[in-house]
Amino acid sequence: MKLKRLLQLIAPFTLVIIIAVFVLNIITHGSIQHPGKSSYQTNCAQCHGDNGEGIRVLIPPLFHSDFAKNNFDSIPCWLKNGISHKISVNGVEYEQPMYGLNMDEIQIANVMNYLSKELLDSNREVNSIQVKEILKNCK
Amino acid sequence: MPVYGNKTVAPNGDSVDYVLPDFSYVDQDSNTVNASTIQNKIFATEFFFTSCPSICPKMQQQMLRFNEKYKNNPDVIILAFTIDPQRDSVGKLNAYARKLNIESSKWHLLTGNKDSIYALAENFLVSAADDPDAPGGHVHSGNFILVDKQRRLRGYYDGTDEESVNKLLDETDLLLKEK
Repeated sequence: MKLKRLLQLIAPFTLVIIIAVFVLNIITHGSIQHPGKSSYQTNCAQCHGDNGEGIRVLIPPLFHSDFAKNNFDSIPCWLKNGISHKISVNGVEYEQPMYGLNMDEIQIANVMNYLSKELLDSNREVNSIQVKEILKNCK
Repeated sequence: MPVYGNKTVAPNGDSVDYVLPDFSYVDQDSNTVNASTIQNKIFATEFFFTSCPSICPKMQQQMLRFNEKYKNNPDVIILAFTIDPQRDSVGKLNAYARKLNIESSKWHLLTGNKDSIYALAENFLVSAADDPDAPGGHVHSGNFILVDKQRRLRGYYDGTDEESVNKLLDETDLLLKEK
């Protein structure tokens, strides 16, 4: 029953602990880390770069990408199935195929919101229910 | 800096460092690249393929840093071997080089016989193999390998890791100072 005892001891401080973690997070990250950031680092940064800069004319940028901004609702399908045709991003043509990734609708929504806010300078937001709907209709 | 590979013993009893065997491949501008190309050159090597979806873009991003740093140093070159020569023809490599905006005088993208390239990877003491389950159909090491002017293997670096590539840049500078 040691555990129960411990829980009883900690219980009054729960709120304090939550606030402490919150404050610590702000101190270490400068701000609360966007929930899509780690997903971006894992799934996107490998090719598109940590700051969405892309690689020369091989991999298109995501930073201020007109193609991503204008086709925002297509992003779930790109993440699922990839892109195998030529695309034009900020006036430059790219033909390196993008491969589909294994991400669920929550990860996709998080990464899209991160993209929108941090890289596309857009106020578009999606949630996982909307992403799930879009994914049903991917070609 | 260490010298990698098994040493052998010469008839007179001296121990001899492992050196890279001769090879001959063709680059993105149809130039033959062989022993005479690398004579008196320090070079970095990577194994990649142009349609590689996984680690290659990151590797190329890091190799571009190496390319930038030694752009004007004729003693340093890059040899990048495709492990997908069936698809990566000279034309395909040429298009890829243009997209990366790199010059074949500095950064050779090389193709040739597949079995020979896979065997060459072994000579560099790294791995390359077909794997239908891997993204893009091939598995390969993401290593960058540093080779000195005597064709000895001097360093291995993780081509997907910025810190490790910093070390490659430092150690290339060290090699340039070696006599």
